Amino acid sequence: MSNAKERKHAKKMRNQPTNVTLSSGFVADRGVKHHSGGEKPFQAQKQEPHPGTSRQWQTRVNPHSLPDPDVNEQSSSKGMFRKKGGWKAGPEGTSQEIPKYITASTFAQARAAEISAMLKAVTQKSSNSLVFQTLPRHMRRRAMSHNVKRLPRRLQEIAQKEAEKAVHQKKEHSKNKCHKARRCHMNRTLEFNRRQKKNIWLETHIWHAKRFHMVRKWGYCLGERPTVKSHRACYRAMTNRCLLQDLSYYCCLELKGKEEEILKALSGMCSIDTGLTFAAVHCLSGKRQGSLVLYRVNKYPREMLGPVTFIWKFQRTPGDTSESRQLWIWLHPTLKQDILEEIKAACQCVEPIKSAVCIADPLLTQSQEKSQSELPDEKIGKKRKRKDDGENAKPIKKIVGDGTRDPCLPYSWISPTTGIVIRYELNFEDTEETPHRWWIETCKNPDSVSLHCRQEAIFELLGGITSPAEIPAGTILGLTVGDPRINLPQKKSKALPNPEKCQDNEKVRQLLLEGVPVECTHSFIWNQDICKSVTENKISDQDLNRMRSELLVPGSQLILGPHESKIPILLIQQPGKVTGEDRLGWGSGWDVLLPKGWGMAFWIPFIYRGARVGGLKESAVHSQYKRSPNVPGDFPDCPAGMLFAEEQANNLLEKYKRRPPAKRPNYVKLGTLAPFCCPWEQLTQDWESRGQAHEEPSAASSPNGKESKLRRSEAPCAPMPKKPHQPSDEVGTSIEHPREAEEVMDAGCQESPGPESITDQEASENHVAATGHQLCVLRSRKLLKQLSAWCGPSSEDTRGARRAPGRGQQGLTREACLSILGHFPRALVWVSLSLLSKGSPEPHTMICVPAKEDFLQLREDWHYCGPQESKHSDPFRSKILEQKEKKKREKRQKPGRASSDGPAWEEPLAGQEALTLGLWSGPLPCVTMHCSRTLLGFVTQGDFSMAVGCGEALGFVSLTGLLDMLSSQPAAQRGLVLLRPPASLQYRFARIAIEV
Amino acid sequence: MVRFKHRYLLCELVSDDPRCRLSLDDRVLSSLVRDTIARVHGTFGAAACSIGFAVRYLNAYTGIVLLRCRKEFCQLVWSALPFITCLENKGHRYPCFFNTLHVGGTIRTCQKFLIQYNRRQLLILLQNCTDEGEREAIQKSVTRSCLLEEEEESGNG
Repeated sequence: MSNAKERKHAKKMRNQPTNVTLSSGFVADRGVKHHSGGEKPFQAQKQEPHPGTSRQWQTRVNPHSLPDPDVNEQSSSKGMFRKKGGWKAGPEGTSQEIPKYITASTFAQARAAEISAMLKAVTQKSSNSLVFQTLPRHMRRRAMSHNVKRLPRRLQEIAQKEAEKAVHQKKEHSKNKCHKARRCHMNRTLEFNRRQKKNIWLETHIWHAKRFHMVRKWGYCLGERPTVKSHRACYRAMTNRCLLQDLSYYCCLELKGKEEEILKALSGMCSIDTGLTFAAVHCLSGKRQGSLVLYRVNKYPREMLGPVTFIWKFQRTPGDTSESRQLWIWLHPTLKQDILEEIKAACQCVEPIKSAVCIADPLLTQSQEKSQSELPDEKIGKKRKRKDDGENAKPIKKIVGDGTRDPCLPYSWISPTTGIVIRYELNFEDTEETPHRWWIETCKNPDSVSLHCRQEAIFELLGGITSPAEIPAGTILGLTVGDPRINLPQKKSKALPNPEKCQDNEKVRQLLLEGVPVECTHSFIWNQDICKSVTENKISDQDLNRMRSELLVPGSQLILGPHESKIPILLIQQPGKVTGEDRLGWGSGWDVLLPKGWGMAFWIPFIYRGARVGGLKESAVHSQYKRSPNVPGDFPDCPAGMLFAEEQANNLLEKYKRRPPAKRPNYVKLGTLAPFCCPWEQLTQDWESRGQAHEEPSAASSPNGKESKLRRSEAPCAPMPKKPHQPSDEVGTSIEHPREAEEVMDAGCQESPGPESITDQEASENHVAATGHQLCVLRSRKLLKQLSAWCGPSSEDTRGARRAPGRGQQGLTREACLSILGHFPRALVWVSLSLLSKGSPEPHTMICVPAKEDFLQLREDWHYCGPQESKHSDPFRSKILEQKEKKKREKRQKPGRASSDGPAWEEPLAGQEALTLGLWSGPLPCVTMHCSRTLLGFVTQGDFSMAVGCGEALGFVSLTGLLDMLSSQPAAQRGLVLLRPPASLQYRFARIAIEV
Repeated sequence: MVRFKHRYLLCELVSDDPRCRLSLDDRVLSSLVRDTIARVHGTFGAAACSIGFAVRYLNAYTGIVLLRCRKEFCQLVWSALPFITCLENKGHRYPCFFNTLHVGGTIRTCQKFLIQYNRRQLLILLQNCTDEGEREAIQKSVTRSCLLEEEEESGNG
């Protein structure tokens, strides 16, 4: 019987009388019984003279026999009974003192004892059930457990005790209102508002909360993943159909003011090196959405703040610089604090004097925060009206989807999904008593009517496009639509493409070529007042349903006429996968910007048209398959990213500690130094010192002992100045180009004035001094392009060479490397890795440099899985055991000692808590050299990619290490690295690629 | 209720020989009863009664024994009990017989009956007692058992 079962049984039988037998060898047994009688627990307990437990039977018998202390108590007191220590102990025939006669008193005592034992058994309940459950059925009454008085009086007292116990266990529930009152609408909204004081709910929260695992993140309650099993279904929706996400937790910053002033203020925060800036022509006209990475003012390439997307409001009169412009910057809530402060600072620098008249003067650069998190001071009583400044709390619905390459596939439509849902309501002739005054006024203006018609036409044309990826990236389209709730389908259906929509092929082609005309990007959503009125004049669901129920023919179309709302919306195309070479345009889709309060009204129709909803996990999967970095986890150099990494490490550590040591991997033995976090700082530092160790011998200076030791261990990676396959004439150009790169970069960062004149090494020192040993991620497009060309194997190298003249590519030479390293001594590079054969990487997987023999083996056998790491020894294990022993010893000694020893005893305990079995404690040793293969970087996202069909990973590698590895690898196998998950010893080959 | 229905036989083992009580334990007792059933009712009876047969309670001092058997074969066990005439243990034979006091459906009813029965016995003993000292002792135990009962009652409500 298992222990728990035994205990349960014992509990059940605790009041039941046990067998009472006579023992034969009473004298002999007496001594033994206390200890060795344990064979039969009940019996042994029973037979102890003073059981201490409630064995009245025994206590009744023995006091009588006690006058004779130990010998023959029974027999001497006319002892007719002999105790027998069970069947095991009783040697027959020993000391047979057979009683000669019987006395009435013993007889009576035995009876009395039995009565008491039985009484106990009868009166006390033995089962685990409640009191009223012990009653026979016919005596049970309704609500007995609630009201004690309904029980028979003899049981009331026990029940009272039980009820008290139960009350303690039950958690305190506020009963100030009855159930009905709590469910009433007003009180419910009050309660909801109270519950979202700490973490703001999105408009679709209740819908999500019923279907998703919710997490509290970034000040919001967000759906993490659906409760249904839907990983693959979501992937299918991403690829072929439509995946819907609520992105209304994204924050929007609005900048108003003169164009040039805004541009001037923001120019310091972004760099031309990383791509287009706020001033990009297409974006500036309001035609496209732009995305970029923000830095602290004039701090590029360090002190990154985070990635943002932005849209400019469409400009009516292009070229008129005096016009006030509006700029919306959309960003992740974790980045908001930093970026907002920085932008505020930047804008104040521009207009320090006039800040007082900021609101009055429309020409001023005025930064205005409009994120949903700004609302604690607003009235809460109204129904979920969490108002911030005007219309700014705009939920964006992000639709991610993609057409496959095959245009004939019936499900390869994303835009039709939107198209069917968003119905056009064009009632130009309606006039009187409609609440939507702004719309009437618009309708009076023939220009805007024609604009509206054009927008509608373009939207119709979008139906003819097979994939949103076909139109230019970031295209914006403004629309005004009718209430989507009115023609909600009866049943949930999948949106199918309408074949007749594809007829107008020429117009479609024109649209693809030219993009959406600039005028069509106009939308009333930019106007705060209009958005406010749209939000306030929304017909509530209740009213709508009431009107529907009052229809003459049930189920027919509801016609609201002039009362129907007109909702200005903005469609923004999301380009999907734009980097790399394969699967271009995968995962493209549309962002829909809606006025506040309309979230649910649009959400449900979207779903009824067959959109699948994803959570945070799905968005992570989407960005992984797109091979784009995920905010904020994949930005280790911005403060939000660091915070995220810290939190993640804590969570994982906690999870790890919850498992018993035998059931979790011993990371020390596996040679994983940091299984839960990526020590970027140390990685880059190690590589930097290694790089210096290389440089010195090449500069013919004397290598010191430590560095030579480092070098010795990585002999295969010894620098090779020139590759035989590279034409020597490239060397000349290679010296030229880094200089140019430097100049560009120095224009961006004004801190290092003109280091071109100094040598590379000096420059590097200069930079290191300037950066203050800070980590940065390489985002300069030029350098990334160069690196990505270098990364490919020789077959791709030829292609790279073909492109080379056009882009000014240069060969992989020592000089080129040095010049890059001079500027980025501690940089990380974002890489994507795809595994050659088996294996599926996971986050925190180590990226390592393969050794020479690995390549040899791989060349011999193409299916070679990869080398194995040998098991490491665990130096902490013995320490932990020692401490445990010590603790035990001290614990043993402690009762003897006085309490004054307390502090001295506690000290080693505190020290012991730092040690966890299976984790490296204390400062990490040299991370790069800890294992048999040199560590290059870490994976931040990784999984089996259903889009590609093999394991894929995304991560960062040290720039120094990457260049070092590339220059040392043979050309045919350049770009091969080894991946090793933290809980495994097996290395797997993967190909590295840098996608620009 | 879905369960196996049992019958509990509350019996009293009466024996002249005190050594009989000495050797009384549940294993001996159960084998004794089984043998008797086999002897009286044959192999079928023995097999039928062996299902669910158990000695649930045994008190060597008072000679009270509680036997359990299945409801269907209660008659077989019950009818076999009078044929027990002696207790055989380790080569010794002690003459004894069984006195069935009560047949109940649950242990609880048997326990309740036993309380009543013992009380009655004590009272009879008290009435018939002649020796003064003995009488006092009996009186004491009777009051004690009664007191105890009250305690129990008050303790458990």
